[in-house]
Amino acid sequence: MSAGRAAAILGVDKVSKTFLVPSVRRESVREHVMDLFRPRPADRLPVLQDVSFAVRPGETLGIMGRNGSGKSTLLKIVSGIYQPDSGRVTAGAPITPILELGVGLNPELHAIDNIFLIGSVLGLSLREIRASIDEILAFAELERFANLKVQHYSSGMSARLAYAIAFKAVREILILDEIFAVGDEGFQTRCKNRYRELRAAGHTVLLVSHSPLIIREFCDRVILLEQGRIAIEGDPGPVCEAYIDVTSHRPIPETEPAAVAG
Amino acid sequence: MTSATVSRQASSGLYIGGLIWTLVRTDFKTRYHGTIQGFVWALMKPLTMFLVLMGVFSFIFASDPAYRVNLIVGLFLWEFFAQGTSVGLLSLRAKGFLISKAKFPSWIVVVTSLANALITLAVFWVVILATLTLSGHVPSPLASALFLWYLLHLTAIVIGFSLAGSVLFLKYNDLNQVWDVVLQAGFFVAPIIYPLSILPERFHKYLYLWPPTPIIQFARQVLIAGTTPSLKAHGLLTFEAAIVLAVGVWVFRRYAPRAAEYL
Repeated sequence: MSAGRAAAILGVDKVSKTFLVPSVRRESVREHVMDLFRPRPADRLPVLQDVSFAVRPGETLGIMGRNGSGKSTLLKIVSGIYQPDSGRVTAGAPITPILELGVGLNPELHAIDNIFLIGSVLGLSLREIRASIDEILAFAELERFANLKVQHYSSGMSARLAYAIAFKAVREILILDEIFAVGDEGFQTRCKNRYRELRAAGHTVLLVSHSPLIIREFCDRVILLEQGRIAIEGDPGPVCEAYIDVTSHRPIPETEPAAVAG
Repeated sequence: MTSATVSRQASSGLYIGGLIWTLVRTDFKTRYHGTIQGFVWALMKPLTMFLVLMGVFSFIFASDPAYRVNLIVGLFLWEFFAQGTSVGLLSLRAKGFLISKAKFPSWIVVVTSLANALITLAVFWVVILATLTLSGHVPSPLASALFLWYLLHLTAIVIGFSLAGSVLFLKYNDLNQVWDVVLQAGFFVAPIIYPLSILPERFHKYLYLWPPTPIIQFARQVLIAGTTPSLKAHGLLTFEAAIVLAVGVWVFRRYAPRAAEYL
């Protein structure tokens, strides 16, 4: 393990994150002025506690856990979108996060403008974007709708477009959140093939999924998150079994940190 | 794939340039529906405002022959300040769908949001120049250079307000309404529709603390009155702009890393 950590391309070291959920939420200047002298009640909601792991170059690490176990928050911290309260993330290479990207499109723009927007945010140069527009539209099967505003797309169509752009913009480390649950059978097959290509090219991947089938098929190693801590870390087989145990035997708690964190 | 990865790392400067261009272009497209008519339509608001104010106030200040030119210079500089800071304040929240999905330098979102206000100002500069020429105040090269120098200061001031406003608006979701009130009051605090000289001298130094005031006054001096503010006055202006920009950068750097968490 220590040798693996030394060679890690991505290291997460004792990361903790707590969201403050004020029982009375003050979000405006008015509320702050009115309540200036009243104490501020707040519930502390620990979402991640002392999470540490390391990923070696070319490895695919799976992350499983129930809703609210902290998976999405962890991915956002690793991607640099959220800041951890303590602990640190060290990445030896650029990261491309493919989170629930369907919402990342601008509905007022048509597909090609969205390709430029998302592509450049994910780090593609204009020349690279121009060269890959056809490929992206073909991957998403949206050639016929290239000049239609995204607000007229079905949810499946916009998700396909978002993933097609992100898959084109992949840098060294890839973070995938429930990617293989999008689109129809044909699109899922293309995603899996693209993923296999990336893996063969040596990309490192963090893969979140609820599906033991996906995890068994794609991951070298898996961690199971339970209430913000790593419950188990190991081979896909045993961890998937533990995950099934956890989801079927224990009741899901009423508070769901990830949902509150938005 | 690997070679593409390497070239992409090498061309991060290129990527920033592409990002800026894309953000400016998409802003223009969404705001004006991608048409020149849409853009011209957006110019109607300040132009109408100018015509109404000129119609009413040039009667009140009929004794001042330079009133109209002073009004047009003040009003269009103010329009840039008001439009720039309002759009800048909204910019991060408006691009929330991007900053919650990917990590990229978010100050670019704030600064590029000012592009439309800058384009508007450039168009108005033509109007100002035409008005100046028609009224016999053709600006000298020195006056033009100084005017550009003031515009640079005004842009720094607008960026300062926008940087601070954009992150604070994520924390305080009625800040835009507060800012609207500030702008409304600020329109009358700045000597736009009235000459500063109608107020008692002892108030002047307080009015100069409101950043648009010195910009408007100095621009009028060099463009219309044909005088040049003192070196000390220029120093104070630069100092004021630098303070606004520095505070804006400081507030932004403090809150921007957690911007996605406030959304």
